Amino acid sequence: MKLSGFKYLTNQGVENIWKNKMMAFATFCVLLISLLLVGCAGLFYVNTNSMILGLGNQNEIAVYLDSSTEQWRVDEINSQLQELDNVESVVYISKEEAYQRMKNQIVQGQAIFQYIDDSEFMPDGFSVTVTDNDRIEQTTALITQIENVQSASSYAQVAEFLRELRRVVTLVAGAAIIALAIVSMIMISNTTKQSVYIRREEIQIMKYVGATNSFIRTPFFIEGMVTGFFAGAAAFFITWAIYNSVYNILMEQGTLKNAFGINSIISFDNIRFITAIAYLVIGSLLGAVGSTISTRRHLDV
Amino acid sequence: MVELQNVSVTYSSGVDALNNVSLKINDGDFAFVVGSSGAGKSTMIKLLLKEIDATSGVVTVNGYNLNKLKKRKIPEFRRTLGFVFQDFRLIPSMTVYENIAFVLRVIDAPLKYIRKRVPYVISLVGLQSKTNSYPDELSGGEKQRVAIARALVNDPQLIIADEPTGNIDPELSYEIVELLKSINDQGTTILMVTHEHDLVRHFGGRIINITGGEIVYDEVIMGAGIELMPIGNEYTEPIQKYDPPPDVSEYDEPFIEDVIASIITNTNNNGGAE
Repeated sequence: MKLSGFKYLTNQGVENIWKNKMMAFATFCVLLISLLLVGCAGLFYVNTNSMILGLGNQNEIAVYLDSSTEQWRVDEINSQLQELDNVESVVYISKEEAYQRMKNQIVQGQAIFQYIDDSEFMPDGFSVTVTDNDRIEQTTALITQIENVQSASSYAQVAEFLRELRRVVTLVAGAAIIALAIVSMIMISNTTKQSVYIRREEIQIMKYVGATNSFIRTPFFIEGMVTGFFAGAAAFFITWAIYNSVYNILMEQGTLKNAFGINSIISFDNIRFITAIAYLVIGSLLGAVGSTISTRRHLDV
Repeated sequence: MVELQNVSVTYSSGVDALNNVSLKINDGDFAFVVGSSGAGKSTMIKLLLKEIDATSGVVTVNGYNLNKLKKRKIPEFRRTLGFVFQDFRLIPSMTVYENIAFVLRVIDAPLKYIRKRVPYVISLVGLQSKTNSYPDELSGGEKQRVAIARALVNDPQLIIADEPTGNIDPELSYEIVELLKSINDQGTTILMVTHEHDLVRHFGGRIINITGGEIVYDEVIMGAGIELMPIGNEYTEPIQKYDPPPDVSEYDEPFIEDVIASIITNTNNNGGAE
């Protein structure tokens, strides 16, 4: 093919978008919705997975002492804890520090602290981290048996539950993504078919004057690819805006952060590039392939 | 050249559209195909365009045996033909210029050649002022002129005109046939299907009458015509006499494969130098 011929077909593809702007817009919208559905489902899965993994990997045991425990006894327990097998580190958290932490966490309920001006009601405690997360339950049980220890709790049971949840989420999210992808393909196929059907006479005329199938398909390919590219770009920016809004709302929920593994939600900055590439490539590919395949049935003249 | 040897066409519905038809139209001939509706004229056109296949017999057009022609070779074969349809079949999203240039684009003709050839055929059919108009903005006669220009632009060996005057004013019909005659004078074979007996009587020539799927009459008659004055109107110029096109090979242009190859070679050379 001559260079001018290649340029011509590319220009035709781009011009066709404008000439058939209503159908191009319909294809763009369907592609955009499809990409958003699949993209958001994918991001939801990635984040759920990350949250579950984050929670499952927490190797911390929160130890609370009786409020009547003397300071010398606190020091003694500190030593006892450090001598335990499987203990990696022991950090003492005084009642004053615990009180300050709570004040910092309850950002939106500061008024309540006007009535509580004393840290005495808080217990002294320790944050104990373990070496082997698989034995965290036994270690927690051992700590509970130490005198003056009111309670010791870890995320062990939660972690086990979350591992199970992760399996379920993987299956459900995987199935949802596949189902959405299939629905999207059907929607895209129907829209591009309609778009091509309107121009079937044009395709037939091209065939009569001796155009080859590839000559006819190339502008449709370019047209679908450009439409898909812009749908991918739009889907990316919409996802970015929604993702950041949800991310910021969740990050403001200080008290829930640790409990639900919200700390493990991936910042959009970390996935911006891969998300953009995925949207643009998949959008362009879907548009191009959908548009080209739809021309097939009209080429047999 | 068009040759049909004992050709029959039976549709899947069981209708016999053509029945053992034999026919030969030599290079440079001008032939009218006449016949009533349902006689088999359209089936013959479809056969010649390789739109359908003969149930039996041999169809040869411009040296191509259509019975043996592979699907991928159909575009190549159709480039040796020009078509003019009753319903014009212009691409509505393209201007007059683009509709005509499209045929040359298909054969990958050089851009300079397209820029020279297309305005020429447009002037030939008297539509210079409509070059950038879209088909919807043209009258029936103007559309048919564009269709003829499109059929002509590739300098085909054979032009098949299927009722080219069916959708235009009677006065313009004569001009359209005059134009086709002028093209024929340069050696292009013309096969024109029509049911307008006045036109046939006026111009004369070879008349092939198809009735009930069979050729019932194939003779050359004298025309009773008078010298026609070019009509034209306030929008369009009169139809001009046709001159053959210049040689395409004079307009050389780079191929994309060569451009890509030279880019790769340059890149490799630069890489090697580094």
